[in-house]
Amino acid sequence: MSESSANLEPEVQELLVAYLDGELDAETARSVEERLASDPALRTEMQRLDRAWHMLDALETEPVDEQFTRTTLEMTIAAAQEELQQEQAERPRRRLRRALLLCAAAATAALGGFFGVRLALPDPNRQLLEDLPVIENLEQYRAVGDIEFLRTLHQERLFADEPDEGAAP
Amino acid sequence: MVVSESSARRYALDPDVRLMLEVRDGNAAAFEELVVRYQDRLVTVLQHLVGDRDQADDLAQDVFLRVYRARKTYQPGARFATWLFTIANRVAANALRNKSRRREVTLQPKESGSLGARPLDSMILASSGQMPARQLDKAELRDIVRQALETLNERQRLAVLLSKFEGMSYADIAAVMDLTPQAVKSLLSRARCNLREVLEAYFEDGQPPAPQKAETTEATDVTQPHKEPA
Repeated sequence: MSESSANLEPEVQELLVAYLDGELDAETARSVEERLASDPALRTEMQRLDRAWHMLDALETEPVDEQFTRTTLEMTIAAAQEELQQEQAERPRRRLRRALLLCAAAATAALGGFFGVRLALPDPNRQLLEDLPVIENLEQYRAVGDIEFLRTLHQERLFADEPDEGAAP
Repeated sequence: MVVSESSARRYALDPDVRLMLEVRDGNAAAFEELVVRYQDRLVTVLQHLVGDRDQADDLAQDVFLRVYRARKTYQPGARFATWLFTIANRVAANALRNKSRRREVTLQPKESGSLGARPLDSMILASSGQMPARQLDKAELRDIVRQALETLNERQRLAVLLSKFEGMSYADIAAVMDLTPQAVKSLLSRARCNLREVLEAYFEDGQPPAPQKAETTEATDVTQPHKEPA
């Protein structure tokens, strides 16, 4: 390492490089310029850095030839064709998947509708089932004639040991 | 990658981003235009990264192919050049890692130019001992500078190439290399000091540059953002 570089703090070196790269804000750039004006060693260091940087101009490479461009575009066309073939191969599978999804959605909608209607509308058979014990014993109830009398008998549990075939209506 | 609407609008001002958006919409001529605009720049950077022109050509084609394949999901989240060189960086890193695995990395460049196998040594032997006064022809100078560049590690070299040949800002280099701008500032500072020392040592004392140990990089998915410590 040369002496001038070794003597510089890394922060100062960074500032110098950032100054050369135009990466400093106006205020910091001004302070670097003031330091450069008063410090010949710093000025020399900056000139050396700048000179080495400009030597990199010698690294320019040969431009690519037409063959490179043509091959690149041919590779791209081949990739595009491959993509297209892949899409075409996947199309029937995608259609089948879509059809299955549609069927599943239709079945779900049908089931949902069925249960929805069932819940929303009263079931005409439900009342009939609830009244079944009365219907089955209708003749006997008619023979008694008075419903209040039957209720009284039920409350007094006079026939508690008998199966409760027909709860008091 | 999720890109905000405002950032997409901002980067849509970049003419190359607009071309890439046309590629996304199926315009093949726009892709050809991008290839023509960037092929030399891309090959230059890749050649100095991998140290071999043929491999640089292959890698550049690979990069263009990846750009084309990514067109359908392209969203302008950066300048086009930044995006392109981010892909190139990862492609080159993967290539160097594979090369290193196969134990094919050599510290000497494959092409030795006009000066034989060890151009600097040859020149030292041939030199008069008054290097600053010595006039070098273009090919000699190129060989020396290339050797000096090869003394840098991969990250320093990439930062130098993007700054020198692409004129990228620290922020753009940071985006390409997945670093912070402050880390790029330090990286470039060290790189430029190293270059200065190597080149001056050669011109003043005739000392050939000693190559640094090559860095290896983990394999990455080149189309996805990746994180590295700054």
